[in-house]
Amino acid sequence: MKIIEKIKTNKLAKNQTEIQKICLHKLQSSPLPNPKSELWRLSNKSKFSSFLDYSVSEKDLKSDLPYPKNSQNIIRLVIGENYKINLKEENYSIQQLNEDKLDKFIKEQISCFDQNENWCNLLNLSLSCKNNILGLKINGSKIPPIEIFSHASNNSLNAKTLVIFLEKNCNIELLQVNLGKENSSLSQSTFFFLEENSSLNHGVVSYGENGSNLLNSLNVIQQKNSEYNLGSLHFKFNYARFEINIKQSEGNAKTNIKGMQITKKDEQISTYTKIDFNGPNGFLDQINKSLADDKSHAIFEGSIKVPKIAQKTDASQLSRNLLLSNLAQIDTKPQLEIIADDVKCKHGATISQLNEEELFYMRTRGITLAEASKLQLSSYFQEIISFIPVSKDRWNLLDKLLNEN
Amino acid sequence: MGVSFVRVYKANCNKLFLDNMVNENLVKDVVKEPYKYGFVTDIETEKIAKGLNEDIIRLISQKKEEPEYLLDFRLKAFKKWQKMDEPDWAGLGYKQIDYQDIIYYSAPKQKEKIASLDEVDPKLLETFDKLGIPLTEQKKLTNVAVDAVFDSVSIATTFREELAEHGVIFCSISEAVKNHSDLVEKYLGTVVPASDNYFAALNSAVFSDGSFVYIPKGVSCPMDLSSYFRINSGDSGQFERTLIIAEESSSVSYLEGCTAPMFDTNTLHAAVVELIALDDASIKYSTVQNWYAGDEEGVGGIFNFVTKRGKCLGKRSKISWSQVETGSAITWKYPSCLLLGEESVGEFYSVALTNNLQQADTGTKMIHIGPKTKSTIVSKGISAGNSINSYRGLVKMGKKATGSRNYSQCDSMLIGDQASANTFPYIKSQQPNSEIEHEASTCRISEDQLFYLQSRGIEFEEAVSMMVSGFCRDVFNQLPMEFAAEADKLLALKLEGSVG
Amino acid sequence: MQSKMKESDPILEVKNLFASTDNLPILKGVSLTVYPGEIHAIMGRNGCGKSTLSKIIAGHPSYKITNGDIKFSGENINSLEPEERSQSGIFLGFQYPIEIPGVSNLEFLRVSTNARRKFLNKEELDTFDFEELVKEKLELVKMDKAFLSRSVNQGFSGGEKKRNEILQMALLEPKIAILDETDSGLDIDALRIVASGIKKISNSQTGIILITHYQRLLDEIEPNYVHVMAEGKIIKTGRSDLALELEKNGYEWTDNFVKKT
Repeated sequence: MKIIEKIKTNKLAKNQTEIQKICLHKLQSSPLPNPKSELWRLSNKSKFSSFLDYSVSEKDLKSDLPYPKNSQNIIRLVIGENYKINLKEENYSIQQLNEDKLDKFIKEQISCFDQNENWCNLLNLSLSCKNNILGLKINGSKIPPIEIFSHASNNSLNAKTLVIFLEKNCNIELLQVNLGKENSSLSQSTFFFLEENSSLNHGVVSYGENGSNLLNSLNVIQQKNSEYNLGSLHFKFNYARFEINIKQSEGNAKTNIKGMQITKKDEQISTYTKIDFNGPNGFLDQINKSLADDKSHAIFEGSIKVPKIAQKTDASQLSRNLLLSNLAQIDTKPQLEIIADDVKCKHGATISQLNEEELFYMRTRGITLAEASKLQLSSYFQEIISFIPVSKDRWNLLDKLLNEN
Repeated sequence: MGVSFVRVYKANCNKLFLDNMVNENLVKDVVKEPYKYGFVTDIETEKIAKGLNEDIIRLISQKKEEPEYLLDFRLKAFKKWQKMDEPDWAGLGYKQIDYQDIIYYSAPKQKEKIASLDEVDPKLLETFDKLGIPLTEQKKLTNVAVDAVFDSVSIATTFREELAEHGVIFCSISEAVKNHSDLVEKYLGTVVPASDNYFAALNSAVFSDGSFVYIPKGVSCPMDLSSYFRINSGDSGQFERTLIIAEESSSVSYLEGCTAPMFDTNTLHAAVVELIALDDASIKYSTVQNWYAGDEEGVGGIFNFVTKRGKCLGKRSKISWSQVETGSAITWKYPSCLLLGEESVGEFYSVALTNNLQQADTGTKMIHIGPKTKSTIVSKGISAGNSINSYRGLVKMGKKATGSRNYSQCDSMLIGDQASANTFPYIKSQQPNSEIEHEASTCRISEDQLFYLQSRGIEFEEAVSMMVSGFCRDVFNQLPMEFAAEADKLLALKLEGSVG
Repeated sequence: MQSKMKESDPILEVKNLFASTDNLPILKGVSLTVYPGEIHAIMGRNGCGKSTLSKIIAGHPSYKITNGDIKFSGENINSLEPEERSQSGIFLGFQYPIEIPGVSNLEFLRVSTNARRKFLNKEELDTFDFEELVKEKLELVKMDKAFLSRSVNQGFSGGEKKRNEILQMALLEPKIAILDETDSGLDIDALRIVASGIKKISNSQTGIILITHYQRLLDEIEPNYVHVMAEGKIIKTGRSDLALELEKNGYEWTDNFVKKT
């Protein structure tokens, strides 16, 4: 585990920034996450260490993007490609965050990081060089959809950080695409700060190639009356871990999450979500779907915390899982921790295979087993995919999924 | 596709019901019913010295005139226990237990050999009388055979002859060790191995008494069997051990009740229960746990760390746990089923009510190993006061559990804004041809429901207690008749004064 | 009763069929032969095995044939997959049509129809052509186009589900249709629509098996033969008057019949 050695000997990055130094220091006290921690107990050790086995590369080769930019009315950014962003249009502006503000924000975040819970963020921030941190401040209306790409090059580990401030009353659609090349590791940390009345439709599509790994950590702070909608899809990674931390800092906000992970071969993909309601009248509707085939392992753990201050919270979390093979494995743990009494909270989990009666019905109509399964899967996928913004028109994700699966 | 999650949740949980509608004084005026089993029996007891070491274990074993294999079992367990750490994963906050400050054996002094109930110390009979468990021939409960355990020893077992006619063995485990040693040796520790967990290891080392039940092949036990556990001394722990074996095509319903006096110190209760069901056998195990819970400030109360597990060894065997947990300062208890036999069935029905500063961490483990096994979990948690009430459960489908099913439902009801309700379901599947379905919801008593009841002339407290017992109905329906009524009353009692 | 010499070969021959599910025997020796142009009715109490018979002919994977044969157009189909049976012209109308959330009805009908057309060496239809075809067939069952954009059977009323079944039958043009309690849950108007649909689809080359409890469907579609099932066997076969007799006298006698034999 090359990275760990470097953390220990403090040789992780040249010309370390202050943030990198702080994070490294925090990591040095225990360079690996504690496997006794609930959040890491199911993580496959050897797969996780393969993530850590590539050398850190601060520059990456230009990569082919998965689909062409076929509309002018779209803003496309690639993290790590060095450009100054300063878009000022009649209705909106998208500007690079100034360094002081960016530093201050990140440091604030780090100060409340816990070694186990935020290990991925700590690692990311200690690896991300200045070039690979993209900070944006967005305001206005009628903002064109935004696409942001991150990728890792072959045989290396790339760390990318994205920070976005969404100012008051602003709403955007943003698709984030994380691409893992063959034998690579990508560390992606994303921070969103949603000011009052803002709304973000966020799509995350992460997929890799043979032997690619991903640590993807998403952190969202929502001020009151903001709305955050997330549609996410993770597939084709040797090891992938998607952590979502959402905090409704004053309650009175809306969060909708529809996520899916697909594992095949001997892949392991896990999703951990933590939702904190820090004020009254919060709303959450979350569904997470997993599909595990071959010898793979899919994991979902969700935690919803509703403290006393969060009266009238309405939260629902559902974990639906399809287990398609005798050798595959699914673990799921949706948790509720509630103190406030005037709340509506529920969660549910199911694990099953494709419905046999539905399959039989289709087969009696001459549809082959393979086709019938495909029809069922596409309806299973569709609910999530249709929730991923921007992709709908120009990128046929469903076909991609069905053809690769 | 497959199972569907969406259901209409029974409770309509929307509005604050108390803050604005209840006259504060009314609530304050409600007379808080004291814990009515909190008295101490003044009886001379034989206690051994405080502390735990090999000599103490040898002494316990010697006092019970145990065979060599049992002493061996205890010593091995003790060695393991010494190497183990007290579990902290449940995140229960309690003062560290000083295991050297506990008396591990305490028995009321009485004649060595008791020929009949008449020779039992009248004070003991009176104690159980006061607890509502009369033991004497004239007064004993009809249709329920009782094994009464006082501190570390079994005092009496009723209806023994009647049961013997059917070949049913029902006695204290100490007696079973003497008279049915082969059965004890064969099964003891096979469901809960000594090294299973910290408290099971401790129990295996020092267990004093408990009940033993053996139902022979083809016999359906003619009456309910019941054990009543009473902790009397304040400084001794209770470590009972229960073993129930149901042979092929037999069935039994077993009830367990517990109380303890009020002390301002914490008393440790670490029991182990093992159930074994062979082909077509069925065991129903019901508990009403009402150990002293400590006072409103959380002083005193029983630490209840219990390991209960059943093994469905045989085909089509069935083990059903139902529990009403209202007492103890801390409850840490997960009655579980190992479903080995093809088409075996495991059930868990639980009501856990916590008030004041009580903490309950309870749930179940359903381990599906054999094919076509089924399990059902229904858990109702009610938290009031400053208490913490958690459901923690594991459902696992092993590789061979083809065609197996699980359904779990965990509902929480919160009363007041200081109590917490948590749900931690661990779900794991390695078998595609199986189905797991889990649902959980949290609610409060709705103002509308309450208003409706009140508008029909039902008193406020009565209405709350009706709602709570309605909330628990699915579980109460699983309890034997005698228990269901008692459980209802118990809940109402525990809740008095907690609303508001 | 089926002693009359037939000019053509039978479409379906069930010979001494025994079948079980989960080791529980359900069919205990059923024999039944259907010639082109014939309409057969199978009647009997709940649990007598009539639905099971229909599922087994359609190839439901939960049932195991322990003895006997099912021949379709002279070929043994015991080991054919359900989709192969459907493509070759066996249609099962479900008693409880399955809801498939998320799968569009139109897409489902198209894939299904094309599978049958491919088998018949007919050209497969693209979405456009298929919509034309489907519109024409919708007429038969008096269904609205809006049906097509919904998920398969999801949120359909009982009557809509049954009409959707007949629509599928019309699209697939089977050689034999087994209609399992297609009449249950229908009001009289819906029943007439369904019955007239069935009559229009069937012809001298097709065979139909109606599984039903009631006379009222048989008032609309007169069967050539009526079979009574009990305890996994056909215990009596007659003409359409047998159904009237059953309507009048009930099924009690079938219990006695089983006991005696």
